[in-house]
Amino acid sequence: MSVTERRLKATVMDAEQIRRSLSRIAHEIVERNHGAGEVVLVGVFSRGDHLARRLAAQLEELEGHPIVVGAIDTSEHRDDRHLREPAHRFKSDVPDVDGKVVVLVDDVIHRGRTARAAMDALLDFGRPRAIQLAVLVDRGHRELPIRPDYVGKNVPTSDSERIEVLVAEEDGLDQAVIVAG
Amino acid sequence: MAVGSRLRHIIESQQFSRALLEELFVLADDMKSQPHRYAGRLKGQLMAALFYEPSTRTRLSFEAAMLRLGGRTMGTDNAREFSSAAKGETIEDTVRIVSGYSDVIVLRHYEEGAARRAAAVSSVPVINAGDGPGQHPTQALLDLYTIRDEIGHVDGIRIAMVGDLANGRTVRSLTYLLSKFRDIRVSFVAPHQVAMRQDIKDHLDEHRVPWTETQDLDAVLPQVDVVYQTRIQKERFPDEASYLAVKGIYRIDARAMSLLQKSAIVMHPLPRVDEIAQEIDSDPRAAYFRQARNGMYIRMALLDRVLS
Repeated sequence: MSVTERRLKATVMDAEQIRRSLSRIAHEIVERNHGAGEVVLVGVFSRGDHLARRLAAQLEELEGHPIVVGAIDTSEHRDDRHLREPAHRFKSDVPDVDGKVVVLVDDVIHRGRTARAAMDALLDFGRPRAIQLAVLVDRGHRELPIRPDYVGKNVPTSDSERIEVLVAEEDGLDQAVIVAG
Repeated sequence: MAVGSRLRHIIESQQFSRALLEELFVLADDMKSQPHRYAGRLKGQLMAALFYEPSTRTRLSFEAAMLRLGGRTMGTDNAREFSSAAKGETIEDTVRIVSGYSDVIVLRHYEEGAARRAAAVSSVPVINAGDGPGQHPTQALLDLYTIRDEIGHVDGIRIAMVGDLANGRTVRSLTYLLSKFRDIRVSFVAPHQVAMRQDIKDHLDEHRVPWTETQDLDAVLPQVDVVYQTRIQKERFPDEASYLAVKGIYRIDARAMSLLQKSAIVMHPLPRVDEIAQEIDSDPRAAYFRQARNGMYIRMALLDRVLS
């Protein structure tokens, strides 16, 4: 990868916009599920896990009870795993999901293949009553029949671009950017 | 989306996961043992060093790192006095402009939070080389790398942090990183005027890292694997008398070294004044110059990770 590929083209969301989007999504989760009593949040490594924890904190504030949070590694269930170099493996930490409404949380949805892998991985751990999907950025170009239930922001992109979501816990600041790719 | 660790900006030490630290250390090891393999790695890339306060060693360390990877550097040592900042230009505007010229910005600033503000508007990666009393993450990384390099591991170590713990950002940043490891025990050895602040102690409690606080260095020395010595700065004390009362009480000299285990090491972020006696420089346990050299390899690894 040359450096020009990592040059930022535009900021899509700043820290304040990310905070507001997560706050709105938390409200939508509560509204749609008539509370959050049956809701379990599962973040997709490696940015969704942080977003899931933040959403859980917001839900706890709204509803006044603890929210169960987990995180899931999709690499074993990816349809392109034979094409990818073996990367660092994250350790899935999935709570009891039987009969629960699981909200999968990821930073970006693009072709929908990570979301499919995440659903597949999740089903190894149990049989949720329902699976919903929350993403901070939807950049379009779906290749599978998957549509997120909660979207922070729709960002139309070209194929040659990439979206990077930075989270303070791992990147030192919150930001969603378009990077030339 | 992303699988594996991705690194764009380097803002604070908390942002580094254990996995990412391990990746960086392995890369730094390789750069140290096979430098020729990396000599052309960042050819054609340009690093801008924006220093709003002087720091010769940090700047030279970054420049050496970039040059050894085949990249080039430019910069200013006195951005505060000589750049447009003197005319009232904001850090955001300066960074927007400089990020148009360069591929990575190394920023040293006198205000806490400056690196995050810079990163929010930069079109290229920003590396925090110290922002006021806040953070100095690359120093914390090189400290941790040195512990791993010298002792062989980080899990399970016992460390004494000695000197000015209230104002030393290096000990603060290092403590954040150590809390990510297992079975760490920390002893804070400081005069009460400059004792470690409560926020760090709370952080250690949250991460279940046992810590103790004492003013008795001699009692701690035989028990630790690492002594992290810092300089007690005169300007931190209200008057001359209270400074003189603590000055030199935690001097590491031949007598102190005789209390230390054979396998232990002494570290110091440098510059030192008299808190480490020159007589111990030749002791193999004196690791501070190797520590400084490690800084270059860690910065090489970081530059490589954000640029390639």
